[in-house]
Amino acid sequence: MFYLSFYQKEVKEMLKKMNQRIALILAAIAVFYLFLSYNLPKYPNAIIDADVVPIGLGYLLLFLSVLLFLDKTVETEAEKQKRNISKSNLLVLGVVFGFILIYISLLEILGFLLMTAIFIFGCSLFLGYKKHVTNGIVSVVFSFAIYALFNYLLRINLPSGILPF
Amino acid sequence: MDAFQGLMSGFQVAFSLQGLLFVFIGVFVGTFIGMMPGLGPISAIAIMIPITYTMDPTVALVMMAGVYYGAIFGGSSSSILLNAPGVAGTVATSFDGYPMAQQGKAGKALAIAAIASFTGGTVSVILLMLFTPVLSAVAVSFGPAEYFALMFMGLTAIASLSDGSTIKAFISATLGFIVVTIGIDSQTGTSRFTFGNANLLEGIDFLVIALGLFALAEVCTLVLNRKDDSMNNNKDLGSLRISKQDLKEMSGPMTRQSFLGFIIGVLPGAGATIASFIAYITEKKIAKNPDEFGKGSVKGLAAPETANNAATSGAFVPLLSLGIPGSGTTAVLLGAFLVLGVQPGPLLIQDRPEIFWGIIASMYVGNIFLLVLNLPLIPYIAKVLRIPRPLLISLVIIFSLIGVYAISFNTFDLYLLVAFGVIGFLMRMFSFPPAPFILAFILGGMMEQALRQTLTISNGSFGIFLDKPIALTLIIVSVITMLVPLFTKKKKANVEKNIDESV
Repeated sequence: MFYLSFYQKEVKEMLKKMNQRIALILAAIAVFYLFLSYNLPKYPNAIIDADVVPIGLGYLLLFLSVLLFLDKTVETEAEKQKRNISKSNLLVLGVVFGFILIYISLLEILGFLLMTAIFIFGCSLFLGYKKHVTNGIVSVVFSFAIYALFNYLLRINLPSGILPF
Repeated sequence: MDAFQGLMSGFQVAFSLQGLLFVFIGVFVGTFIGMMPGLGPISAIAIMIPITYTMDPTVALVMMAGVYYGAIFGGSSSSILLNAPGVAGTVATSFDGYPMAQQGKAGKALAIAAIASFTGGTVSVILLMLFTPVLSAVAVSFGPAEYFALMFMGLTAIASLSDGSTIKAFISATLGFIVVTIGIDSQTGTSRFTFGNANLLEGIDFLVIALGLFALAEVCTLVLNRKDDSMNNNKDLGSLRISKQDLKEMSGPMTRQSFLGFIIGVLPGAGATIASFIAYITEKKIAKNPDEFGKGSVKGLAAPETANNAATSGAFVPLLSLGIPGSGTTAVLLGAFLVLGVQPGPLLIQDRPEIFWGIIASMYVGNIFLLVLNLPLIPYIAKVLRIPRPLLISLVIIFSLIGVYAISFNTFDLYLLVAFGVIGFLMRMFSFPPAPFILAFILGGMMEQALRQTLTISNGSFGIFLDKPIALTLIIVSVITMLVPLFTKKKKANVEKNIDESV
């Protein structure tokens, strides 16, 4: 019983800190945004210049982050669970985002068809899809179908890259 | 053009070969995406937007409306079969739908859901048809002050009503508003917060936000839960047959919740999720034997299913008549309108009657499609849920990337998309609701313009709002809705507790 209440207290402290950390980051964003807003070039003839709304928003965000900092509500169990992500899962997410960045950087060089097929096959494989034949068929057929849909039906040209069509 | 004539011309659109085809595609794709646990109607609409770029606006919007209510409908299937709602609006569906499925009556549960959705959808379309022109007629006289007040109300309502911390919801809305100030100011030409980057001059495209904050962030959740193999269970659905007794039991909740759900849908900030919870709670309260609720009650399933579909049509009222979305989903739908060069609002009925009536007429047709699609095809549709997650994740990522690339042809926007995907994921992690963000992003530009026009008229004095009774009333109502949740926290917690107990 004692341990439980002690544990709860500790968790509460930690969570409170989490919200407060977020509040500090948000306050920093607000101050930076306010700084930029005050330095916007002035336009002499406007009654309401371009900086009015941003300045208001900056102070609003600052005010809300103060409220969040002082907020005493404790996160619910479900909310806590959402934050609880294992290191290995975080790594997997990181790799998927790495794949996406590679895709973007090579999209206009190698072309949509090639990159998309490689991405779908590689990403699905990495995430643990074991049926390689199905994976291969899906990645190729899907890339062709989307490419045809956009380029020929919708007339939106996706990058062709090194392939001749 | 009077309403009857208008509706007839709308049916001409809806019953044309093209109209029928695209309503079907919309409803089908919506159902498909909505079924995927984790992917909601916002992702469904955002993913479909690029396909509409070169389409005829009427047909495109008819399709997008189909995607929206199809997604809500699809969400109920995964709620019933997997206890994993694909959409927040169908959480209440799982309370009685899932127990029913566990009792081996999944087919019956899906059939009840289909009929309840159809009823809610159809009744509310009739109400939508009657209400929208009236509201449009009123709204024609609105000036910038009234518009500002209306949008302010929508924003405060969605922030106050979203679940979790109200402060976080307001922060989310403020951040959305801040992001939309990036780019050239439309009134003075000042470039704001672009850091000299030419790609930011036109501001950030709303698809970058919608696909990043929703589709990509939802992909992250899918990645984390990729090993969950609940989708692979090959349970027998059982018979789809509903007895006369069941129909009799359903009729009460269906009638009541069609109207109640519609009204809640019209209100800004509320929408399908709140409508379905309220429906569930009220039906439980007035039921003769409330103990059955949560154990596979027919009423407990029919009520939220009717209400969430009715609310979906209700949400179209402010969108079509005022041009102001009341929820995150309708905000993205407004984005879809604007991409096609259609400005919804009080003038839509006069200027583009074919679009206005086309959408309404297509909703009758769409609801019938949903019924047809879902009743006999239920066993096959259930198989959709067995798409391997790794493939699904890769495909959704690609759809998000194409969506952004096809509008900007610029990889800079793709990097932005990834950045907003990360932001969306962090928001979910720390329980900041993303819906107020997207609504503020869509409304932000219009709100700033309306506010500055108003203040220019008054030469910079905020006193002008005191002279405008409608605007003043709306602002007072918004302030009250903003303050109320701060004082009624306990009550809200109690309601949640009630819901928990009833599960």
